[in-house]
Amino acid sequence: MTESVTEFDPPTPPAVPATGRWQPLPRRGAVLYAGSAAVSVALPVTVAAAMIGPVLLDVPRWLPAAAAAVLGVLLGGSIGLLRHRRIGWRLDDDGFATRRGGLWRMETLVPVSRVQHLDLERGPLERRLGLATLVVHTAGTRMAAVRLPLLALEDAEVLRDRLARQVEAGDAL
Amino acid sequence: MSSHEAVAGTVPDQRLHPWSWLFVLLQQLRQFVVPLLALLVAGRRESGPWEYAEYAPLLGIVVLVAISVLQYFTYRYSVGADGISVRSGLLQRNLRQIPFARIHNVVLHQSLLHRIFGVAEVRLEAAGGRKPEAQMRVLGLSQALELERLVRDRGAAPATGAEAAPANPPLLSLSTAEVVRLGLVSNRGMIVFAAGFGLVWQVFPEKAVAGLLQEWFRSAVGYAGGMHLGWLAVATGALALAAVFVSVLRLLSVALALVQYHGFRLVEDQRRLTVERGLLARVRTSVAPRRIQAWHLEETLLHRWFGRRALRIDTAVGGQENDPRRLRELAPIATPEACDGLLRHLVPQLEWPPQWRPLPRRSWWRLFAASVPWNVLVAAVLCWHFGPWGLLALLWLPWSAYAARRQAGWMGYAVSSRQVAVRGGWWSRWWRLAEVDKIQALRLQRSPLDRWLGTASLLMDTAGAGAMSPPLRIRFLPEAEARELHARLGRMLATRQLRW
Repeated sequence: MTESVTEFDPPTPPAVPATGRWQPLPRRGAVLYAGSAAVSVALPVTVAAAMIGPVLLDVPRWLPAAAAAVLGVLLGGSIGLLRHRRIGWRLDDDGFATRRGGLWRMETLVPVSRVQHLDLERGPLERRLGLATLVVHTAGTRMAAVRLPLLALEDAEVLRDRLARQVEAGDAL
Repeated sequence: MSSHEAVAGTVPDQRLHPWSWLFVLLQQLRQFVVPLLALLVAGRRESGPWEYAEYAPLLGIVVLVAISVLQYFTYRYSVGADGISVRSGLLQRNLRQIPFARIHNVVLHQSLLHRIFGVAEVRLEAAGGRKPEAQMRVLGLSQALELERLVRDRGAAPATGAEAAPANPPLLSLSTAEVVRLGLVSNRGMIVFAAGFGLVWQVFPEKAVAGLLQEWFRSAVGYAGGMHLGWLAVATGALALAAVFVSVLRLLSVALALVQYHGFRLVEDQRRLTVERGLLARVRTSVAPRRIQAWHLEETLLHRWFGRRALRIDTAVGGQENDPRRLRELAPIATPEACDGLLRHLVPQLEWPPQWRPLPRRSWWRLFAASVPWNVLVAAVLCWHFGPWGLLALLWLPWSAYAARRQAGWMGYAVSSRQVAVRGGWWSRWWRLAEVDKIQALRLQRSPLDRWLGTASLLMDTAGAGAMSPPLRIRFLPEAEARELHARLGRMLATRQLRW
């Protein structure tokens, strides 16, 4: 391939905090994560209870629904808090790795040479808390996009810049 | 990216075939046929002040013809030293430059109508994306073949001496007997039947179809009842009916296979592999061997009875999974030796068959355990309906235990510094092979059961893997081994450049 690459002064490499060890997410995002988990558990449970409750028990429809909503929020919230604690990321010479999951655990590694492009996403709530979601795109199929939500903004930016710089360096090879 | 001059070159612009507007029109009509018909019907029904609505479909067709003709006049392409540039559009002009290095696949497609007019549709496909980089609808056949050759030779002028050289003998060509075998093995007929059934259900009112089916069933039962047959005769009749149904489906499969795969030829031509096939519509697709992302061998029970296998590939080209024009099959059906030989010939740097490492045989019960809940569920549902007789479904359990044992005995993997291979299945066996360089990401998964037993599974992701094909995944590995493999592959990948 004969591709000309415009040369420019390489920027000073941004410092990455403690490379090579699993880094946790900032705790301030836990509420957000637990909240979304609580909603996603409570909603279907509430609907199901509202439909099945009056059939099984002789009570007004709202009673089982409310009980299920409270239970769902508590259960979903606590699962969310635990899962949030388990999410981590790591950046070393091999590449960018994420881990997640409490019961079903998975560790995903995207080697630096396989990063296609990067996205930084920030919803309104994430902006308020100074957080960001990093999306690493690969050419794969099942792992075409590896998402890491609720990162501290400064970490996300450092990660994005580091990975982007390595992608660029790799393309010039 | 190269500059415009380098890509466009000095070759004069080329146009589509003069008949191309007709094919563009046909394509558009196909898209608009439903709204046009709806307009026609709606226009007829309304009377009085809405009469002009009757002319709306006609107007629509006139507009479509105008667009098609305009497209012919505004679409031109030129082939340069480094790539192809395509110019299109009248009001919103488009200039697209496609370097040869980015083109993964060239597809020539000829429907029956195309063949009558002596033209072909050409698609240039790059990695990823839903649509092809460029679609030329349509070019004259000689022009299309020349474009294909230019892409293959990277824009070089044809060598005068090489032209006279005889074409390479095909790596694989299927005789009619082989194509019939392919039809017998495949289940295409069932797919067509299901699609047809779905269509009937959608087109006609639901109640009418259901009513008709019930009517048929009742009259059949009434007929059987009228003959005062014993249960043995009824069972025999039902079996005979089922046999007729299955054989009709297989016949349909054979017919479809003949239409789609007649004259199948796999040819290696310098840097590209070209597949040609089709009885009525001819398809000619080509791909460079180094663009192949993963290899997939399949052997179902029927394959084994015929002593055959199928060799499939994954390419990184985007688009729909089941697009018949995609190059997915290098050998739709061939003897195991031919498949292995093809693999060894096309990727000589890989070792095939590799040294398989079996998985611990004791992992069979985990395969078995995964199937038990479903079996119990089915048995429970049957009990609900038929009483204790439903428990007969549990007789499936010993069989599934046996199948799990056999499957665990067959599962295996092989990892070297160049390649990763996984095999699985039992009735239906499969092998999957990918170069290490083509792996995009790694994932280590551990379910609660895995953590309890100290095992893990390692999933390797490649580009263009179909959702239907089994993943490149090593299951039930001891955790330490899985972690070591994960780290080793990760380190290897980090130092190696991604080669498309």
